Amino acid sequence: MSALHASAASSAALRSFEAQWLAREADPLSPVREQAMQRLLELGLPTTREESWRYTNLRSLSAQSFVDAPRAPPGSIHPHASLALLGEEARVATLLVVNGYPVLPERMDLSINGIEISSLRELSRTDPISAQRFLTPLPEGEEMRWQLLNTALFVDGLYLRVRTRVATPLIILHLATADSAGRAAYPRTIIEASPSSSATIIEHHVQQGPETPLINSATQLLLERDADIEHYRVFATDQRTAHFDSLEIRQQRDSRCRQFTIALGGGLVRTSLAARLEQSGARSDCYSLLMGHEERHVDCVNVVRHAAPATLSRQTARAIASGTSRVIFNSKVVVEAGAAQADSRQSSRGLLLSPSAEIDSRPQLEIHTDEVKCAHGATTGRLDPNMLFYMLSRGIDRDTAQSLLVYAFLADVLTDMSVTEARTAIENALIAQLPDPQVLQKFR
Amino acid sequence: MLKISDLSARVAGKEILKGINLEVKAGEVHAIMGPNGSGKSTLAQVLAGREDFEITGGSVTFEDRDLLALAPEERARAGLFLGFQYPVEIPGVNNVYLLKAALNAKRKAAGEAEVDAYEFLGLVKQKMKLMQMSETFLTRGVNEGFSGGEKKRNEVLQMLVLEPKLAILDETDSGLDIDALKVVATGVNSLRSPQHSIVLVTHYQRLLDYIVPDRVHVLSGGRILMSGDRSLALELERRGYDWVRESRVA
Repeated sequence: MSALHASAASSAALRSFEAQWLAREADPLSPVREQAMQRLLELGLPTTREESWRYTNLRSLSAQSFVDAPRAPPGSIHPHASLALLGEEARVATLLVVNGYPVLPERMDLSINGIEISSLRELSRTDPISAQRFLTPLPEGEEMRWQLLNTALFVDGLYLRVRTRVATPLIILHLATADSAGRAAYPRTIIEASPSSSATIIEHHVQQGPETPLINSATQLLLERDADIEHYRVFATDQRTAHFDSLEIRQQRDSRCRQFTIALGGGLVRTSLAARLEQSGARSDCYSLLMGHEERHVDCVNVVRHAAPATLSRQTARAIASGTSRVIFNSKVVVEAGAAQADSRQSSRGLLLSPSAEIDSRPQLEIHTDEVKCAHGATTGRLDPNMLFYMLSRGIDRDTAQSLLVYAFLADVLTDMSVTEARTAIENALIAQLPDPQVLQKFR
Repeated sequence: MLKISDLSARVAGKEILKGINLEVKAGEVHAIMGPNGSGKSTLAQVLAGREDFEITGGSVTFEDRDLLALAPEERARAGLFLGFQYPVEIPGVNNVYLLKAALNAKRKAAGEAEVDAYEFLGLVKQKMKLMQMSETFLTRGVNEGFSGGEKKRNEVLQMLVLEPKLAILDETDSGLDIDALKVVATGVNSLRSPQHSIVLVTHYQRLLDYIVPDRVHVLSGGRILMSGDRSLALELERRGYDWVRESRVA
């Protein structure tokens, strides 16, 4: 592998990523990987001087060096039952991915409930052209810098093809694990939905083991004509974890995507979403449920691009910050010149539960055509004292009243989740981080 | 039951209550009437423990306890209930959750076990029938999207489920048509007993045709200017509040 020119703004972390890149074996994807690595080295790791990174300081992370989190020998990893999002009785299929390596049976034609599943390594061997097509970076490179890193360095990943209408949800359990510090994992998932197909796919990020690697995950969703996908990414690692997740969604004619981003774990979580409504009639509903707890730092950035006429997008974000946590939500809607009759709405609400917590929310609109319907609103505040007093005046104690109000605050997002079992599991996890979980549990 | 002595209170730096004296005995129904801005609602809210109101003097005892020393939730558990003039909408919190949480809080304070879920639902449904409310209200958010009249009925429903020793109903009659007024009055009257006291805060005499009070007080300018029996309300209706103020000056 040829050496790449190092960027002027090179950091220890970037140099270690480059070293990982140089140590990779060549594979059919090397040209596109090299392009991604080059671009990343040019751009350097983000700094707070950049607008969309203003609140997330990577200085201490940049000073660290990382090596690959190892592939666990098959059969050596058994996730704790407590990490499962859903109990056995929910009867959904679960695929296990450890440090980015799918744990798949040795069968080529694996299919679960109508979803064809293969490893990306396999796909790059059998159909390198398709694989390269997916991995070619979009122009939003700067926003998607961690995706570039993932493209350069992922060794394996999952490729899913949804062919029909699939009723049973599929869970991808992304398990991160490390024996020592300074490891990095690069889970990559590509999901293609055939015309008129539908499915629900839940990506659930957890970790177990003595140390937790840096997680740099990336997912791409391609919805073909009239496809209907509900996708969840649930971040539920512990407070030591630094996690950078990139999600790219491309939607063709009349496709519908409902996407839930749920941050309820991790120490530093940065999520980015780039959705492109490429053909008319496409509809995107993005929900962000961001839970700042203790010292957690959650930074969520969404860019939805209307690139075709009569496309529709809805973004609903609910952020809660307690302790000394910080939650950032930036959303941007771009309506391109050809996208007449685009219809977009952004609603973002923040709830501060402690004086030391902070929420920064900024909706943006960039419109290059007339005849569009775009609305946005963002509010952040504390619990409504009138609501609180009303509940206190009914004899309900303060902790319970606050918890109920916080729970109510999240209801807008929770009620739109169509997978009841997942919703219940997510509710349970959220409630566990509220001021008075035991009491609240009784009233559900 | 309730004894208010020389109570003064400020709201946003402004003196609203200027020495209120009032005693309500067990089983009595009192009506507090008065023009807009006289301090009626402030009095109701101060008794319920609204924290942004500053008590500047006087005392209130409730069942021989210092009411002003109790937090709002403690007052409620001790048996005090405020029916809000403007009930708050709380989207996302079910009506039935709120009722159950409230009832269990009261029972816990009294050293009783939590209410049995089946019994609870039976009780609530029975009271809802009395208030002519559809059971669909149970699963809706608290007061969410309720009409003015529905909100007031919901307040009375909560009162009936909680069976407070002292219910203070702040303009529960305002905005009600005559049919709704009768329903609300039926609900309130069903709580009347030698153990339960009721304070009706109202602007109009009309409610008192249906809930006949033992005592009527006229509050104006932060003081009780006049007290009497039922006939005082009728006289007020005839002569207007100016009459009270003038006769006071005279």
